[in-house]
Amino acid sequence: MTNFQEMAKKIKTLTPIPAVTMSLLKVVEDPQKTMDDVTNIIQYDPAITADLLRIANSAYFRLKYPAETISEAAKMLGTDRLVELVLLKLASQIIKGPLGGYGMHEGALWQHSVSSAIIAKQLAVQLELSHPCSIFTAALLKDIGKTVMDKYVQNAYKTIYNLVTNENFSFMEAEKKIIGVNHAELGGMIAQLWNFSPKMVMIIKNHHLSREDMVKDKDTIVVYLADCICMMMGMGVGADGLAYKFDHQAIEKIGISADDILTIIANFTPRMEEVAKLLKMV
Amino acid sequence: MEHIVGIGDMKVSNQVGDIIVAPSICSGIGLVVYDPEARVGGILHYILTDSSIDEIRAKNKPHMFADTGIPTLFKQAYLLGAEKTRIRIFVAGGAQIINQERRFNIGQSNYTALTQILTRENIAIWKQAVGGNFNRTAGIDITTGHISLKTSGKGEVEL
Repeated sequence: MTNFQEMAKKIKTLTPIPAVTMSLLKVVEDPQKTMDDVTNIIQYDPAITADLLRIANSAYFRLKYPAETISEAAKMLGTDRLVELVLLKLASQIIKGPLGGYGMHEGALWQHSVSSAIIAKQLAVQLELSHPCSIFTAALLKDIGKTVMDKYVQNAYKTIYNLVTNENFSFMEAEKKIIGVNHAELGGMIAQLWNFSPKMVMIIKNHHLSREDMVKDKDTIVVYLADCICMMMGMGVGADGLAYKFDHQAIEKIGISADDILTIIANFTPRMEEVAKLLKMV
Repeated sequence: MEHIVGIGDMKVSNQVGDIIVAPSICSGIGLVVYDPEARVGGILHYILTDSSIDEIRAKNKPHMFADTGIPTLFKQAYLLGAEKTRIRIFVAGGAQIINQERRFNIGQSNYTALTQILTRENIAIWKQAVGGNFNRTAGIDITTGHISLKTSGKGEVEL
């Protein structure tokens, strides 16, 4: 059995993503969503409800009075914030662990994913894109493929790093050459298996803009750029370092300049302590 | 005791037994200083060149920027007994994503900002590991002055 066949089989045995996530993902992509649509989904999942109330009532959010129901929490935090907290909680269960093959200690991918999601959403709002919440989610889950690829990268560590260090391969190109698939493609397969929307599958699969036609899609470029900014800053970066390709054309296409990137970094750096507190809590 | 230097952060020490480590240096610069006679050392990990982008933030977080962070690092080291003529400088970072060019190359700008300041102050770099697509970790042992460098995909070396 080839690596690819083995992985295709393995992703089918992954713990399915909870039903509440799928229902939420459908709702967040709907610009007409109401607070009730969201709270109705969450309140039927007792574990998520309990976690969410614990997080909402923590000192971090400084609510005027404790929220006793999901509706109260939604009113105080806002629907988008509530959805984001649920997605953070669910994603943490999948991507919090260490990834030895990628040289990531426990929590590193989690830090990278959450930082990417926050920056991507900020960019989406700044550029007035239609679905900032979906972009947040795609950025949060874009590296899901790494969780399955990790073992294979670990086994082929020397060969992959040799191609990257000595043969000018990007890390993705080296993954593809040695293992037969790259982490973005595998992430897209997992997203498809979990019945994510076609748009979400497309963003996850192309979040390194490896396909030229992806340079036309603003949502994908925003997720890509957030990933690049986290790499430059060193937010949860692994042994793959910055060995990915930079696409000036795509970034200029969405109207983001080098100065804009500096401003995003300047704004995000002081927020890292806040993000670290949030990560510990979720 | 081990002290971790985060992004936009700085630590300086003259305490025997202290080890200062700056992980995840990518396009930022990890500037390591050490005076072997005074046994004073420190690391600054800045991420941007110019504090004029946000002067209020620069006051609260001077270590984020080269122009405010570098003088602060030297001042702090001098306060603990280091002297300019004895200080040893190691530089790590300034990495870039593949094909990241022109003004988008933040790693290169960060390194240029450092060399301009050091040249102006007539301070030489002892050793450096700069550029490429690497994620680096730099460390300094205050007792021995040993400087360590860990590079993604390459492992750890003592300089």
